Amino acid sequence: MNEFEWRRQLRDLQQPLKPRRDLWISIDAALADAAPGSTRSSDPLRPRLPEHRRRWLLGASLAASALLVAGMGWRLLHAPAGLPLVASTPPTMSAWKPTDPRLVGAAIELDAARMELQQALRQAPGSAALQRLLARTERQQTQLRQSADPAG
Amino acid sequence: MIAAHIDPGRRMPPVAANTGANDTDDVCAAAAGDRRAFERLYRLHVGRVHGAVYRLAGYDRARAEDLTQEAFIRAWQKLPGFRHESAFGTWLYRLAVNLALMDIRARGADPVSMVNDEQLPDTGQTPFCAAEREELERAIGQLPPRARAVLVLHDIEGWRHEQIGSEMGMATGTSKAQLHRARGLLRKILGPAAPGVPA
Repeated sequence: MNEFEWRRQLRDLQQPLKPRRDLWISIDAALADAAPGSTRSSDPLRPRLPEHRRRWLLGASLAASALLVAGMGWRLLHAPAGLPLVASTPPTMSAWKPTDPRLVGAAIELDAARMELQQALRQAPGSAALQRLLARTERQQTQLRQSADPAG
Repeated sequence: MIAAHIDPGRRMPPVAANTGANDTDDVCAAAAGDRRAFERLYRLHVGRVHGAVYRLAGYDRARAEDLTQEAFIRAWQKLPGFRHESAFGTWLYRLAVNLALMDIRARGADPVSMVNDEQLPDTGQTPFCAAEREELERAIGQLPPRARAVLVLHDIEGWRHEQIGSEMGMATGTSKAQLHRARGLLRKILGPAAPGVPA
C-alpha cells in the first residue's frame, strides 16, 4: 500500500454521519429559549457535560443535600441538654440593624462572629476561652448599638 | 467567541455536493426566526456537522452529540450575523469544528509541549498499512486529543497546516509536528503488522 492509497483511505473517513438519536427535539426545545441573535447559550469555553454525567451530578447533589439536612436534624435532636440551641443574646440584638450605613458592616461582622462562637460553644461547652470571646463580642455589639443610638 | 465568520480568501474544506445547494431561502427564514426552516437546515446539514465533530471528539458518540447540538444552537443565535460570504453549510461546519476544538482546549488536553521527540517515528521511507476502516477509526480515537485533531483536520478533512494553526492557536510548524507525532502514534497503535502510516 503506497502513501497515495493511505491518504485516500483516510479521506474516505470523511463521510457524513447522522447521530444515533434525533437531536432536533433537544435543539428545538433550546431554540425556544434562545432567539436568533441572542447569546444565552452556555459558555463555549466550558464544555457541556454529557447527559449521563449531568444526571449523575444531579443525583449526587440531591444525595448531598439530603445528607446535610439529615445531619442538621440529628444535631438538633442530640444537642447537649441545658445548652440553648439559639443565641443566648436577646432576639433584639441579632435582629438589630443600624441605620447609619457606616456601622452596617461592623454589625454584620459582630453578629456573624457571635453566631460562630455560639456554634463552637455547642461543640465545647466548657471552654472558658470561647465564653470569654463570646462575652466580649456581645459587649462590642452593645457598644456598637449604643454608639449608633446615643439617645436610646 | 467562536470565529464563525468565514474569510472568503481562504481555501475552505470541500462541501459535500448534495448539501447546501438550495438552502438560501431557509437560511433567510431561519435568521428571521422561522424554526421550521431551521429544522430543514438541521436535517440537511446534521450529517456533515456531526461526522466532523464525531471524528474530532475521538469517536465519542455522547460528546459528539452534545457538541453537535450546541453547534446548531449557536448557529441559530448567530444566524442574523451570517453574511452569506460563504455557503451556509461551510459556515456551519466551521462553527461546529471550532466548537469541537474549543472543547479540546477547554479540557486542557495534551499540551503541545508534551510532544516527545523520542516517540516520533523515523522520517525515512516506510511501507504503508492497509487497516480496516473500523480498526483505523479505533486507532484514531486512541490518539491524544490535539494530535488527533490535527490528523483529522489535515488528513481527513483536508485542511492546510496554516488553517489548522490559526484555528488551534498554534504555529504552522507545531501543526506539522503534531501531525508527524499523530502518524507515528497511529502506526504504533495499528501495530507491527500494519506499520505503514506515512511519517
